[in-house]
Amino acid sequence: MTIKVLAFAGSPRRNGNSETLLDWVLASMGGEPEVAIEKVPLTEANINPCRGCNACEKLNKCVQRDGMDIYHDKIIGADIILLSSPIFCMGLASQVKALVDRAQVFRSRKYVLRLPIVPPERKGKRLGVFLATAGQNWDYVFDAAVPSVKCFFHVIDIKDEDISYLMINGVDEMGAIGHHPTAKTDAEKLGRSVIAELKKRLAA
Amino acid sequence: MTITVLGISGSPHRHGNTETLLDSFLDGAKAAGATVEKVVLKDLTYSPCRGCNACHKTGECVVRDDAITLFNKVLNVDCLAVASPIYTMGITAELKGLIDRGQYLWARKFILKTLFFSDDHIRRHKGLFISTAGQSWDHVFDGAFPMITAIFNGTGFEYYDNIIANNMDEYKGIKNHPTALKEAFLKGQKVVAVLEKLKDERLVQPVAEKTQKN
Repeated sequence: MTIKVLAFAGSPRRNGNSETLLDWVLASMGGEPEVAIEKVPLTEANINPCRGCNACEKLNKCVQRDGMDIYHDKIIGADIILLSSPIFCMGLASQVKALVDRAQVFRSRKYVLRLPIVPPERKGKRLGVFLATAGQNWDYVFDAAVPSVKCFFHVIDIKDEDISYLMINGVDEMGAIGHHPTAKTDAEKLGRSVIAELKKRLAA
Repeated sequence: MTITVLGISGSPHRHGNTETLLDSFLDGAKAAGATVEKVVLKDLTYSPCRGCNACHKTGECVVRDDAITLFNKVLNVDCLAVASPIYTMGITAELKGLIDRGQYLWARKFILKTLFFSDDHIRRHKGLFISTAGQSWDHVFDGAFPMITAIFNGTGFEYYDNIIANNMDEYKGIKNHPTALKEAFLKGQKVVAVLEKLKDERLVQPVAEKTQKN
């Protein structure tokens, strides 16, 4: 069975540090057999912010018609979901926050309407990865982004313990991550280990 | 001179819990004699930061839209109230979009060193964060604070206070909250009084110095 990997590249800057980090993870995943990867740059995804109308609590769908129509189904269909974002002003880039907030439809489905997100046989067989880069080298620079990321994964039926993180600080200018001592090795290691873990779960 | 207060409403939802709480704060400020203005981000047109870093060289944003006009306004008021509901443990994408666009001010401060706010300036410019959350958790606002700190730092405001109310889902709206709207009104009055006092001090101060010299 092919493993479906869905990766959101959240930076408004194409091929910058956070996207490079994502590409390294994806390259190592792609090196494994039977893995199908789809990478989505959010700059091209046409995902509007959530309107906060709460209609999804009744309708079980969003009232907005945009790129999220496609990605809603892809999020459900994927076995591994990766999200990458640069840290801007101590948080997720606003484009990434828009995607995260639009997951409200899943939150309404799960916690208000009490309906399943994925069929029972796929529960516990989905993994999440959050990748981030920050220009500042403070060790707490990712702290405010992580709670939003956790919510995003929780509502799409990926538990806390099934989320992996690779967050690299102190990389600002274009290409800076290429000079980081461990980022590339860690990214490749992460890609392989996430695929191995998913294969184990699927076999169980 | 009259104290000027600007409220920025970051909710996509008009007249919801957060905007109502902001309105109460602004009413308090007005009652204390301030000139008050409210800007609703939903009605503005501005794009997210592109992360192009061009402002690191020029101190200007390459995108000219409503975000720049709003930052110019922000830089000219005494009190700034930034309001956003909590969505997914953080501020709304609309408000985050605006805050990120302030990168050119950060560049002026820290890279080009063409912008500097003295301690005295910061003391005379007060910033408040106004927020509501559906969840009852005490930590529900924690993810928002660092981003609010970022906009106040970038625009020369002291992060003076929070007016926050959680558990909106339980209360079925801010109007049923026992204290929040009253608290916001009183804090609006209070901050204007504090800022007026600081202005008076400045008017008096040179005279006092002269007296000392004599």
